[in-house]
Amino acid sequence: MSESRVAEPPPRAQHAERPPAAPPLLRVRGVGKRFPGVVALDAVDFELTAGEVHCLLGENGAGKSTLVKILAGAQRADEGEIELNGEAVSFASPQEAQRHGLAFIFQELSVVPSLSVADNIALGNERVRGGLLQRREAHAEARALMESIGFPGIDPGRPVRTLSIAEQQGVMIARALRLDSRVIVMDEATSALTGEEVARLFALIRRLKQGGRAIVFVSHRLQELAEIGDRVTVFKDGRHVATVPASTPPQELVRLMVGREVQGFPDGGRRRSGEVVLRARGLRTARLDGVDLDVRAGEVLGVAGLVGSGRTELLRALFGADRLDGGSVELDGRALRLRRPGDAIDAGLALVPEDRRGQGIVALRSVGENLLTIWETHRRLRPRGERPRVLAQRLREQLAIKTPSLEQRISLLSGGNQQKVVIGKWLAVGPRVLLLDEPTKGIDVGAKMELFRLVDRLARAGMAVVMVSSELPEVLGMADRICVMKDGRIAREFEPGVSEEEIVAVALSEEEEAK
Amino acid sequence: MSTLSTRLRTRLRERGGIDVQTVVTLAVLIAMIVVFSQLNDRFLTVDNFKNVLVQTAPVMLVGCAVTLVMIARGLDLSVGSVAAVAAVFAAAFTARHGWSLVAAGIGALAIGGLFGLVNGLLIVRLQVNPIIATLGTMNVARGAAYLISSSAIIVGLPAGWGDLGTSSVGPVPTPVAIALVAIVVFQLVLNRTAFGRHVYAIGGNEETARLSGVNVGRALVILYVLAGLTAGLAGLMMASRFGSGDPNAYVGFEFDVIVAVILGGTSLAGGEGRVAGTVLGALIVGFLSNSLNLIGVDPFWQYVAKGTVLIFAVVLDRFVRSGTAGAQLRLPRLGRRTAGAAA
Ligand SMILES: Nc1ncnc2c1ncn2[C@@H]1O[C@H](COP(=O)(O)OP(=O)(O)OP(=O)(O)O)[C@@H](O)[C@H]1O
Ligand SMILES: [Mg+2]
Repeated sequence: MSESRVAEPPPRAQHAERPPAAPPLLRVRGVGKRFPGVVALDAVDFELTAGEVHCLLGENGAGKSTLVKILAGAQRADEGEIELNGEAVSFASPQEAQRHGLAFIFQELSVVPSLSVADNIALGNERVRGGLLQRREAHAEARALMESIGFPGIDPGRPVRTLSIAEQQGVMIARALRLDSRVIVMDEATSALTGEEVARLFALIRRLKQGGRAIVFVSHRLQELAEIGDRVTVFKDGRHVATVPASTPPQELVRLMVGREVQGFPDGGRRRSGEVVLRARGLRTARLDGVDLDVRAGEVLGVAGLVGSGRTELLRALFGADRLDGGSVELDGRALRLRRPGDAIDAGLALVPEDRRGQGIVALRSVGENLLTIWETHRRLRPRGERPRVLAQRLREQLAIKTPSLEQRISLLSGGNQQKVVIGKWLAVGPRVLLLDEPTKGIDVGAKMELFRLVDRLARAGMAVVMVSSELPEVLGMADRICVMKDGRIAREFEPGVSEEEIVAVALSEEEEAK
Repeated sequence: MSTLSTRLRTRLRERGGIDVQTVVTLAVLIAMIVVFSQLNDRFLTVDNFKNVLVQTAPVMLVGCAVTLVMIARGLDLSVGSVAAVAAVFAAAFTARHGWSLVAAGIGALAIGGLFGLVNGLLIVRLQVNPIIATLGTMNVARGAAYLISSSAIIVGLPAGWGDLGTSSVGPVPTPVAIALVAIVVFQLVLNRTAFGRHVYAIGGNEETARLSGVNVGRALVILYVLAGLTAGLAGLMMASRFGSGDPNAYVGFEFDVIVAVILGGTSLAGGEGRVAGTVLGALIVGFLSNSLNLIGVDPFWQYVAKGTVLIFAVVLDRFVRSGTAGAQLRLPRLGRRTAGAAA
């Protein structure tokens, strides 16, 4: 393919050709897409063969989702052509793409919150007989689909807004599978899923592969690519860099994707933690069952645990976002009255929530305005002297936010850059305690390490950091102490030297007993 | 026994469950009827009820279509004026140009549909905000009604003109029968067809609906055309009942319709709502005016009363919703895998 584009061909590039016997099912040639101030795609090529899992890899903003949206007919390419089974196609609308046998899971959680699980799964392609919906069949089908991807026991009549993020992602996967398409495109479909759910999804993908389906798989988790992928196409700044076998060593993939070696976890030796800044005793909410917690200045406290173990709830409780049924929170030895998040913010707490689109950003406003949301609403916290524009500009540079300007609407940035803005809006007011809930969700490897370096710097400057993450290597790499949660309680605390297995064992233990 | 109740429950859930709001609205309606019957002994009579039903029939009819529009996160302020222009058109062309009643009726419906089409295209193609678009056509239609009628009430209509508004189908007055048919049809469309699901989806999350392969633009245009058509029909019903074509009629009709829809529990934010709720809302509005009339309250006070009811309903709705929204914020946590498995 366009190996010629690679300045220095990767060592095993010749295997990449692994010439598929059949002609490609889908061929993209010279597709380009420009947005005001950004070249999202610059004459990219891409090929997909029946029965393969083809991964797309690239930094935040590299253009992966743009390609996905063009394939889906949700956006129009400025140039280039798409061939399906050797036939030139151009999808003017998502319906057309659907009719041609392409199914999509988009990066942004796209469900209709008020509709039921079954209705969401069938949306746009409902079962009708004599013009009327076949509710019972649709429910049975939805239940079976959800079960097959590892979400058993979900009532198909439930409105989707009552589901967890992982379950909502499940609904989107079920939707794509239901259409029985030749090509299934998954744009970061696993970003909200944990180990077990991912494993089930992969088993399913393998079955689809055997059935001759082709899958485009976008993920920032390199180990996933190695596990499920056949080939990997790497994009950088809207350009096709290389197509290599998925067995290519991760360092090599990262080098292709970032264009340089990526440093590992920040390693400045042990951090020196100081006084206890945040102290929680006996926290109780709907999902917390008596949590005691001390966080010291200058440390990163990692919180591990299964989805549903109460990690998000712990952060929300500390932040005053959920009502406390009992317990107390102290900051610097002073009891806090947390009636609402505003109280926590005034006291010096900051929360980077898990659901970035729903809770982290104000989607319709600009990058600059988003950076200044907290600054604007909490006058008392404003550092003196800096003008808002200058401040926003400084944050943009400090965090290396990739945007054509501060006036750009934030929803037009790539996911990783949106996350940087969410963190940036807190840095504008210099909080004492930073609560991070899955901060690396949807963030590329390079940006992840940048993020960790930033967190490390903040901690070394005396900030107390609590980081919830489902990615154990991240917790292990970053934390000074690790709390493992289970069933709304802190089950155990570990020192950083602990192994992943030990943590998993603790996180799972209660479930085992219950069985 | 228990299997029966579980089966009933699953069936209900498959059908979208019982709506608390509808039950509340029904309770309010019944409470109102009880109170009003105490205030005036002419209230609780068959004749009076028939009267109220005939008067509310146009609100119900148009309310059905507007419910769908509002579920899809739209709004139609033009229905009153469109009803007027349709009525005046039919009256003018039968009285002055000798059109047959059927031809004039079809013409009136076509005019209603046309205004709806214009609304839809403005909103979908030119991306005009629905409030602005329909506020514009509201005035255009009203102006057209004055122009067609030379701003005079058109009389001298042939025999048979009054049939639509004053005849009966069996014991049921024709306008009420028409409203009933509309209720059944719209209810069916909303709850049992794919189109109905799309209407909810568009209101709930338009972009998702689009990406899911729903033809959002077409659906919205259809909804506004339906609103226009029902408005045209409502205009005919009224003109027939009063025996004239009055360009001044139906001022404030859109207000009654919107009050009925909101009272019926359709969310202003879109994505939620029910035809049955709107019907109850229309009845509440109808009984309220009726009993205020019977008690002899000054008509001007009725404006005050209706306006207050609307604001009260919206505030109450906000109150109830913020309560449930709080519960929903908690729910996802309850609904995590552990809880889901336990259920
Ligand atoms: N509708 C839009 N208007 C303007 N710019 C856009 C729009 N959509 C995407 N972009 C820009 O195009 C570039 C490519 O974005 P894209 O979403 O394809 O990246 P990505 O590779 O999917 O990144 P991520 O890993 O963060 O999801 C980015 O710089 C983004 O800001
Ligand atoms: Mg993307």
